[in-house]
Amino acid sequence: MKKLLERHETYVLAIIILLSILITSFNPNFLTLENAFDLLKSNAFTGILAIGVLFVLISGGIDISFAATATIAEYLTVIVCLQIGGSMLFAFAMAVLIGILLGMVNGYLIDRFSIPPIITTIATMNLYYGLLIVFSKGRWLYTLPPYFRSFADIRILTLSTANGLPYGISIITAIWFALMLLASFILNFTRLGRSIYAVGGDVISAQRIGIRVRMIRVSVYSFMGALAAVAGIVQALLVQTVAPNSIVGKELNVIAAVVLGGASLTGGVGSVGGMFLGVMLLAIVQNGMTLMKIPAVWYDVFVGLVIIISVGFSSWKAKRRSSGAIIDVQEAPRTHSEQTAGGSR
Amino acid sequence: MHNRMKVTLLVLLAALIATPMAFSQGQAAAADDAYEVVTVVKITGIPWFNRLEEGVVQAKKDLGLNAYQIGPADADPAQQVKMVEDLISKDVDAICITPNDATALEPVFKKAREQGILILTHESPDQAGKDVDIELIDNVDFAKRSWDMLVEGMGTSGKYAIFVGGLTVPLHNVWADEGIKYAQETYPDLELVTSRIPCGEDQELAKQKTLELLKTYPDLKGIVGFGSLGPPGAAQALKEKGLAGKVTVVGTVIPGHAAPYLKEGSLTKGILWDPKDAGYALNWVAKYMLEGGSIADLKEVPGIGAVTVDGDVIKVDAMVDITKENVDSFGF
Repeated sequence: MKKLLERHETYVLAIIILLSILITSFNPNFLTLENAFDLLKSNAFTGILAIGVLFVLISGGIDISFAATATIAEYLTVIVCLQIGGSMLFAFAMAVLIGILLGMVNGYLIDRFSIPPIITTIATMNLYYGLLIVFSKGRWLYTLPPYFRSFADIRILTLSTANGLPYGISIITAIWFALMLLASFILNFTRLGRSIYAVGGDVISAQRIGIRVRMIRVSVYSFMGALAAVAGIVQALLVQTVAPNSIVGKELNVIAAVVLGGASLTGGVGSVGGMFLGVMLLAIVQNGMTLMKIPAVWYDVFVGLVIIISVGFSSWKAKRRSSGAIIDVQEAPRTHSEQTAGGSR
Repeated sequence: MHNRMKVTLLVLLAALIATPMAFSQGQAAAADDAYEVVTVVKITGIPWFNRLEEGVVQAKKDLGLNAYQIGPADADPAQQVKMVEDLISKDVDAICITPNDATALEPVFKKAREQGILILTHESPDQAGKDVDIELIDNVDFAKRSWDMLVEGMGTSGKYAIFVGGLTVPLHNVWADEGIKYAQETYPDLELVTSRIPCGEDQELAKQKTLELLKTYPDLKGIVGFGSLGPPGAAQALKEKGLAGKVTVVGTVIPGHAAPYLKEGSLTKGILWDPKDAGYALNWVAKYMLEGGSIADLKEVPGIGAVTVDGDVIKVDAMVDITKENVDSFGF
């Protein structure tokens, strides 16, 4: 299993390299540190959400409500910060608390009432977002607390361009990378992390070896909520404006990036490294289209093609590998777990 | 445990049934001899239509109408149709509507007019089945003014790019088409670097696209952005790259949002009309027509401006430039 996972990441990486060579041949400005840092900064928001989605997918679930969670955490936090002053640390802490709370509701509903996660989170997405619109009346917050602006400008490494303009690694990128390290540690080296894989792989088996499935599910959705909240604050840092409708609608992009990075929609499979490559592949495609001077009407066509090629290629390889007698060994337990996952409690 | 849950569910259910009733009672309580003029917007809860509602509220106060505003939670044509049907059964006097889909509404408009309900539309000049349409700008003039603004900033020659909210947003693409046509005739030395980019409703995306444009066309001199988040996103990117003021950015913006960018110089100028004026004008014209006034004789909407009547379309010239000097005076 582990080997296969690494293989998939290799394909994504190979496509990234090929694409980079292609884009650079059109426009040498692509392969510069400045462009790389710009990309890592503006994709931190998607990337942080992707970490949460990765956990949810590995556990065999799905979450559609994270954009709504992110918006609520962002909106409430900024409102409170504008009222009482606060600080950047306070903002992150408060947002994360809200995120965990909303995530817990998802996890509890899904596990307690056995509602399929996609239905539950579509419902809570509408509920959360609807309540936000009712109470905020859709009002935008144009003026953020001053520390939002100064914090967003922090760089942990500063370089200069030929004409003396500073650029570098933004603190926002650093937050994203720190969270990826944390996530990687949880998944690979903690009991919780291994249990998440176990629950996503086969719920029945997980239960039989004594894993408390409800605890794992609630933890996973709470973690998703926490990361959505951090992403919400990062979004506010990036745009310096809070609009109740600016994040909702970006769910599919994030899920696509995570799946592109090798996570399975049926659970049990996925890695932080793969997720990072998935996010970057989509980022590079979108970045490259302007740099290669492709007209905007073709953007979606291009994105679709790259997704099909990269997922299709590795799936095809996997299928070929598992053809013949191995099919019974590898595929059979998987279908069993899918059938039983729904009515397992 | 089980019983408690049942009770909770019952209470919730009761609350769900009671809530809409509470809302409808609030509306019925208003004066019953005044004309009932209902404004239906594309979507509720966004700043643009909140501002339009201020105009409706002012009209209610100034003109003694029973005027109020409703709209769907998302820009859904089917829900607007449903709302108009409800208003027909309620037998209101006039409906002022900003359509999400012009054709979807035609049949209900017909039904409403058969019952003697006036239909006034906004942002839909080619609408069939209406009594009258009111526009606060002339789309061709609006596009020309945008390009003139661009040229004021970057000069009559050089490279520029266009942002729109989406490739299917009618108004944005009409402006882009008209602007490009106008530029070819009037400013032949302007060079559009790439086809219009759909990022005007997403500030982060607009910022990222601007960064990419600057890397691809280092001699880019200007950006025209439609969709209220395009110009601020472009401005943010320029600020970050130390190019504020060196590249011209103009386009549609919401004043309150654009203020910091205009003041720091990363955004050159904005252009817009005030949706509050639209809300007021719609209700004013509704009352005028309900009292038997004829559109052909209409010369001005008091407090808004002079009008040009073209068949069943009324144009009020209410286009405004938004600059760093006047940006704080709009109140939205």
